[in-house]
Amino acid sequence: MPKFEGSFTETDVLVVGGGSGGLLAALSAKRHGTPGTRVTLVDSWTIGRTGHTAFSNAWMIVAFPDDDIDGILREIVAGNDGIADQVLVREVLEGSYARLKDFEAMGMNFHRAADGTYVRRPTRGLDIARVMYPDGGGLEFCWLLRRALEPIGVELIDRLFVTGLLRSGDTIVGAVGIDTRTGQFHAIKARTTIVCTNAITFRSGFVRDITGTGTLLAYRAGATLRNAEFSYVRPGTPKFYFEGITFAIQEGARWVNAGGTPFMKDYEPDWADEADVPRIARAMALEKKNGHDPMYLDMSGIPEHMRDTFIGSKVKWMDYFFRKLGSEAKTDMFGKTPYYALNQMTKMGVRTGPDCRSDVPGLLAAGLAQAGCANHFAGFHIGLCVGNGWIAGRSAIEDLDRLPAPAIDADEIQMLHAETLKPLKPTAEAQSDRILRDLQQIMFAYDVGILKRADRLEQARAQINSLSREFEDIAAPHVHELVRLKETEAMLLAARMILGASLMRTESRLSHFREDYELRDDQNWLAWVDIAERNGEFTFDRTPVPTPHCSVEPLSRPTRLKKQHAVGGVE
Amino acid sequence: MIESIEIDKCTGCGICDVVCPADVIHMEPAPATNTVAGLNPTFRLPVIKYREHCITCFSCEIFCPEQIVDVHPSVKNRPRPW
Repeated sequence: MPKFEGSFTETDVLVVGGGSGGLLAALSAKRHGTPGTRVTLVDSWTIGRTGHTAFSNAWMIVAFPDDDIDGILREIVAGNDGIADQVLVREVLEGSYARLKDFEAMGMNFHRAADGTYVRRPTRGLDIARVMYPDGGGLEFCWLLRRALEPIGVELIDRLFVTGLLRSGDTIVGAVGIDTRTGQFHAIKARTTIVCTNAITFRSGFVRDITGTGTLLAYRAGATLRNAEFSYVRPGTPKFYFEGITFAIQEGARWVNAGGTPFMKDYEPDWADEADVPRIARAMALEKKNGHDPMYLDMSGIPEHMRDTFIGSKVKWMDYFFRKLGSEAKTDMFGKTPYYALNQMTKMGVRTGPDCRSDVPGLLAAGLAQAGCANHFAGFHIGLCVGNGWIAGRSAIEDLDRLPAPAIDADEIQMLHAETLKPLKPTAEAQSDRILRDLQQIMFAYDVGILKRADRLEQARAQINSLSREFEDIAAPHVHELVRLKETEAMLLAARMILGASLMRTESRLSHFREDYELRDDQNWLAWVDIAERNGEFTFDRTPVPTPHCSVEPLSRPTRLKKQHAVGGVE
Repeated sequence: MIESIEIDKCTGCGICDVVCPADVIHMEPAPATNTVAGLNPTFRLPVIKYREHCITCFSCEIFCPEQIVDVHPSVKNRPRPW
């Protein structure tokens, strides 16, 4: 063991982040590794009780063996406006049925109809893909996965916030971090490291414990990031958290503006209210700009006998939410509650190949920390995390034989120890909340975050730069604040990347809508904006998106919506 | 946002602290006024340490075996785009 202050762990595969991507990466590494292969999974909080998936419905797209996988791939690619890794998405779909069977073997129950057949629902923005959901939602899903990892010998380390990746030459050889309660420093030597810490967020969506700092650590360690100009902006209301909008729309809900006029057909003639979230967010922002706010989700078309199914949920925390709101829940949900387009998270992730390997030896990425897709579908973000987690775990095991035995430098670790804990000063005042509020105000303004234009992006960039300078000498009075400070620092860096990439992409696509370049431009922009570090500054490069499997053209009006009563969707 | 924990009914099991994904609840040595007869002096009880960082996920309330945690269903401190 090298000599430095703090504790030390040695492993073969280190997985950072305990959401669906990380849980699956750990499972896969253990399954693909030879007996005795050491796999370690760490998270800032309690694995199985944290992460975006834990607080979701855990809906996931599953392709059955006789499903039209090429058809589903084609519509996912179209739904990403072409910005998707087709090889990766195809493999994720191909493996999805085997994962379903794995989950069932762990004790998960996927919803079935009275005759015993699986219930498979369509999802917003897609036509033939079908979503499945486990009983108990994400909390149960993540907990059962944790429970499945323990007996197969995965080492689980809760409450370890990773603050840096360890390098030996050009290779990543583990990570360092602090215990989120005690502040104790911890170093982990690993032969391969998989970052699964979600995409960066600005503590904006419901799951505000998710901050996605791992992608920025990967960047600092030499990885390239992409999809910074895209975001997941979804309709929501500050009154309550409603995860059932997709189903509500399938049952007859409509987006209406202040005058009570449905507006989605004006923006999306084919899909109307069934368009996916970036398109709804864009329409809402344009309605706002034209003075037609507030906007509402008009659920008056939902028959009375069905309404109670929207109040309450099989997902425990959501059920508590509605139950505690009492009668107010129904009044608010079926009454006039203003909705906004709320920025949930960015789509910025680590550039990898379809095998989930980054450009840096020893470093892989999975979950939403991997930039496989630029869009977020109900059902495919978890579907993708499950699939790319599996692939990353397998690739990490393959790398064990390819990479040299890792060597770590105790002096470097000691330096990281000093650097990590340097801001801790008991007399300091906690300031990260204030900086975060300023950051949110700049980045979430609808005419910066949704309706973009060069002058406003430049102005926002200047504001963020000034906020970043303010951050330089900031201190933290305790470990809780130290963690938040480091997360906020990563957010500021991410904000600069987002604004830079948004300025570079001079077209409109998905959630990236440039008022000064309104049209999609496949000739120039069927490409990723890749962000890498050169000489201490970030550079933006354009990388064409390969299209080995299918066309990226938009799809025409989906068959499902041509039916007179396109509701329900239960097969 | 978390409102309260009925501390006089708390057994000190620490589950609320373990399941909190936002580091809001900390188990801390119980002050003398809160000790429960028959328990040793190192007894720890939950403290709502960083209430403003609660994400209203209800985990503490859902998993509390004594059902003594109350979370208010409010998400009003979210940032708005307009």
